[in-house]
Amino acid sequence: MDMNERKIGDVILALDNISLSFGAMKVLDDISFDVRQGEIRSIIGPNGAGKSSMLNVINGFYHPQEGSITFRGEKRKEMDVHKAAASGIARTFQNIALFKGMSTLDNIMTGRNLKMKCNIFQQAWYWGKAQKEEIEHRQKVEEIIDFLEIQNIRKTPVGRLPYGFQKRVELGRALAAEPDILLLDEPMAGMNVEEKEDMSRFILDINDEFGTTIILIEHDMGVVMDLSDRVVVLDYGLQLADGPPDEVRSNQTVIDAYLGVSH
Amino acid sequence: MRIERDIIYIILAFIVLMVVVPWTAGQLSDQIFFNWPFFFEVAIGGLLSGVMYSLIALGFVLIFKASGVFNFSQGAIVLFAALTLVGLHGLGLPMWLAIVATMGVMFLLAVSIERLVLSKLVNQEPIILFMATIGIAYFLDGFGQTLWGSEVKVLNLGISEAPGFYFDGLILINDFDLFAAGIAAVMVVGLAIFFQYTRIGRALRAVADDHQAALSVGIPLKHIWIIVWTVAGLVGLVAGIMWGSKMGVQFALSLIALKALPVLILGGFTSVPGAIIGGLIIGAGEKLAEVFLAPMIGGGIEEWFAYMLALAFLVFRPQGLFGEKIIERV
Repeated sequence: MDMNERKIGDVILALDNISLSFGAMKVLDDISFDVRQGEIRSIIGPNGAGKSSMLNVINGFYHPQEGSITFRGEKRKEMDVHKAAASGIARTFQNIALFKGMSTLDNIMTGRNLKMKCNIFQQAWYWGKAQKEEIEHRQKVEEIIDFLEIQNIRKTPVGRLPYGFQKRVELGRALAAEPDILLLDEPMAGMNVEEKEDMSRFILDINDEFGTTIILIEHDMGVVMDLSDRVVVLDYGLQLADGPPDEVRSNQTVIDAYLGVSH
Repeated sequence: MRIERDIIYIILAFIVLMVVVPWTAGQLSDQIFFNWPFFFEVAIGGLLSGVMYSLIALGFVLIFKASGVFNFSQGAIVLFAALTLVGLHGLGLPMWLAIVATMGVMFLLAVSIERLVLSKLVNQEPIILFMATIGIAYFLDGFGQTLWGSEVKVLNLGISEAPGFYFDGLILINDFDLFAAGIAAVMVVGLAIFFQYTRIGRALRAVADDHQAALSVGIPLKHIWIIVWTVAGLVGLVAGIMWGSKMGVQFALSLIALKALPVLILGGFTSVPGAIIGGLIIGAGEKLAEVFLAPMIGGGIEEWFAYMLALAFLVFRPQGLFGEKIIERV
């Protein structure tokens, strides 16, 4: 893929001076960075650096004590989970959070939840409008299933799937919401090289074909440096660096704190 | 559905216990009367009373499926619904209007439970929520009887209890039991479709599996809980109407919930069809045991037979007939 052909637009999400603590423990300390429309933005750092907390702030699970979040030009103190989902922020979780008793298809269908409009009475009746709506959304879900190449596990309860596939289904559920911003929390953790290559390809395709902005947390430096447009580095809640991969890679503080040490 | 080997064993064991043993007993002992029409009459009578157990069990399954919480207060909900219905009817409302009004009350109850109790307990351990439902149970028992009085009340739907269905003059079946069975069948089909094929049904199951993930795809936890407690309230109302017109509306209604426990263990806590099949097995099992086995060991089997059956299930198939097998990955 030619990087020059991709369109990276204006700032869609800006985080300014975000601080978050739980009791006496400071998890994020004065973090500021922005995300541009259509870019792949990575957050790296050792375990406990505050990367997942950062994602939780962005989708509204955590409410920071200080700082502001500007999303699509609207400045606010914190995000609300439901509003975040409704305004196009979808995510995956570090420890897969799928609905384990449900099939792949049903899991991905839950991602369409906010796009479906039938009310409770129409649903209780089911036949007619609600059924028609089901079928329409089912089509979109089938496209996602094709895209992620998981046709053959469509009806399998996800609790029975191998780990790599569960990660894919979770990505599918997030994609089903047709998000503008996709938050991926270690999508390749615990995968073998082949699975990582597949997942990298999916991430690039999502970004390229749908123009989705991606915020990625990942430990595999090779993958991060290959995929990302810009990288922000956190360490114990502090922001060490922010910039394009090459710049971050050669930053001495980063090398000392993170890259130089083997993990 | 793939039929597993132990299900076949269970069916075989049940046939031996319920058919072969009574038949043999009938041949060997002159204390036990056995002929096939009588056997079927007892069996059908048992199945129909099993439907009544299923109605109670359904309320448990709904809340368990949608929030992973064992709702101890389902029995109290049944009592509260029946008391409210009889009370409103007693105030002069016609029966149909009283039923509609009680449905409204069950909705308000669901909203209050969500507002006052559940919303404070998001992301808590299931045991905490379970304890909360015990509190709700005691409150509802007391509140309902304070409002409407604690004496036994008559609830008459105007359906005859006389045997209305004859099969060749040999098998007698009660009209009322057939009516209850019909209602239960409609409810089960409706709920199964709702849970399996609609967005809200899917959202209910999603919330049961993972609160956080459900929130992240924009499922509003609050609405889901109100919906599921309302549905449990409506199922409770139907159970209350059926049981109330059978045994009078009184505090004992709250205790028949205990009869639902063996049904749940048999059918599996997460399965709507399981609640039905479990109820049928328990209902038929205890009647057949009482009539054909009890004389051999001195009678009184009906009281504890269901619990023994449940115990046997806990040993050999803890997830029940249709429950989801819970495998924790380490």
